[in-house]
Amino acid sequence: MTLISAFLRGFVSILQGMSITLLNLVGRRKITLQYPYQRPNISPRWRGIFYLPYNDEAGRLNCVGCTLCAQACPTGVITMTKMGAGKHASVNEFTMDLGRCMFCNLCIEACPFDAIHMSTRFELASVDRGVSLLAIDKLAQGGADAVERTRRTIEAALEQEAAAKAAAAAAKAAASAQPTEGTGA
Amino acid sequence: MTAMQPAVGASTSSDMTINLGPQHPSTHGVLRLMVALDGEYVKSCRPVIGYLHRGLERMMASRPYRQSVPFTDRLDYCASLNSNLAISQAIERIGGMAVPERAQCLRVMLCEMNRIASHLIFFGTYAADIGATTAFLYAFRERERLLDLLEAYTGARLTYNWIRPGGVASDMPEGYAAAVCTFLDGFLKELDAYDTLLTGNPIFRVRTEGVGIISPEKAIAYGASGPVLRGSGVNIDLRRTEPYDAYPQMQFDVPVRTEGDCLARYLVRVEEMRQSARIIRQCLREMPEGEHWGKQPKVFRPAAGEAYSRTESPRGELSIYLVSDGTANPVRVRVRGPSFVHLSMLPELVRGVKVADMIAILGSLDTVLGEVDR
Repeated sequence: MTLISAFLRGFVSILQGMSITLLNLVGRRKITLQYPYQRPNISPRWRGIFYLPYNDEAGRLNCVGCTLCAQACPTGVITMTKMGAGKHASVNEFTMDLGRCMFCNLCIEACPFDAIHMSTRFELASVDRGVSLLAIDKLAQGGADAVERTRRTIEAALEQEAAAKAAAAAAKAAASAQPTEGTGA
Repeated sequence: MTAMQPAVGASTSSDMTINLGPQHPSTHGVLRLMVALDGEYVKSCRPVIGYLHRGLERMMASRPYRQSVPFTDRLDYCASLNSNLAISQAIERIGGMAVPERAQCLRVMLCEMNRIASHLIFFGTYAADIGATTAFLYAFRERERLLDLLEAYTGARLTYNWIRPGGVASDMPEGYAAAVCTFLDGFLKELDAYDTLLTGNPIFRVRTEGVGIISPEKAIAYGASGPVLRGSGVNIDLRRTEPYDAYPQMQFDVPVRTEGDCLARYLVRVEEMRQSARIIRQCLREMPEGEHWGKQPKVFRPAAGEAYSRTESPRGELSIYLVSDGTANPVRVRVRGPSFVHLSMLPELVRGVKVADMIAILGSLDTVLGEVDR
């Protein structure tokens, strides 16, 4: 008797289970994405591959080479060399080793100049380790061209600054020379 | 064979030693169980751990405090926001930081969403361990929706690193509350269907009822926590007994079962998903206005001392102990993970049971090896 009732209970539960499965089979849209052909709808906040924003108005990358991001990084992903000095500074080289990156967002939060961003690009797989080592021409928005333009902007600004300094020094020298002449006369 | 000494009874020629894992679908990670079998029965079992050891405690101790948060993502990777919360609380306590009210509420919401995601993994993989593939696929479908929501908030799908010392890294995106509510409505309906599909299934019940019974005394003696402890009839939930963040304001029930078997632990987790949904709704309804991030010192060098934070992760009590000597890096970071404690109960629980029951018991403990090995 218990065997029969157990069998009946099992049968009912199979029917219940099958009805749920059937509802899911016919009554629902497929949730599976055929990935390489269908692209996922990625959130704009997605933490993907990095880029260094290029400022069109200023004609340069936002980065000033302050190394705050490199200091904030827990795994030492970022290395950079500075270019220029003072107000007119940017980076010569800026390398990120994404093979070590945790995509933790700490570098972006550390940056006071809004100079490093994450894109929605996420495909990092490669057969060569070198591919995940991103140099500045890969990272800069606008590529090598943007880096070159930044270099020119910085150099021009530095020259201008040097010229202005020289002119100011000359003017100062002239100004300090004149009063002595004045007293002499 | 020499390394394996069965704990009870003398080894006879009919015994067989097998290795379950390190790569086995039911070990949920890289866990190796050295099992001595007498026919279909388990004579003894010895878990071999450490395959996933990365030295996370030392790595955290050799970096400035705030850089240790992303490493906690790798502890319990099924619920990394809960691990973020544990270390953030410890750092806040050692540095005396205040957390704004809105940030507290956002934290609770994120943690409960992660709790549902984590319990859905348990639900799915436990069903798969026992042999029900359909429930596994359904659970992962719902989890996918939840991960999409977490992705919209944090930008990551597994290692979020979004709860930080002093608050939460960002506020909610626009229209987020409505999206979460829509998900919860659908999710609760799905959960009822899962109950019919799996909880009511006689085969599932036979496989779990009365299997792997943990008495309340034994659970306490081992230091069990979370659903394993509450499945044994001990009503301790740190969200209730030592509430932190916005939990004191939240109305929720703590599910407790007295049976102490695999089914009890399973039912506690399923009911917890419903309660988590309730908490998330309350958070969204009563979200205070204000900042999501408190004021923070630019250079963080807490005074010499120590701090201990206890949190209720989906697996149980996750605690972090920090020692500071006044420099920028902690001297010691110690993680007390629930999975390690629960795994240590396994040899005693599986002695004398059948192999298939051992899988059911291991699954019901819901261990995550990232947290066991650290």
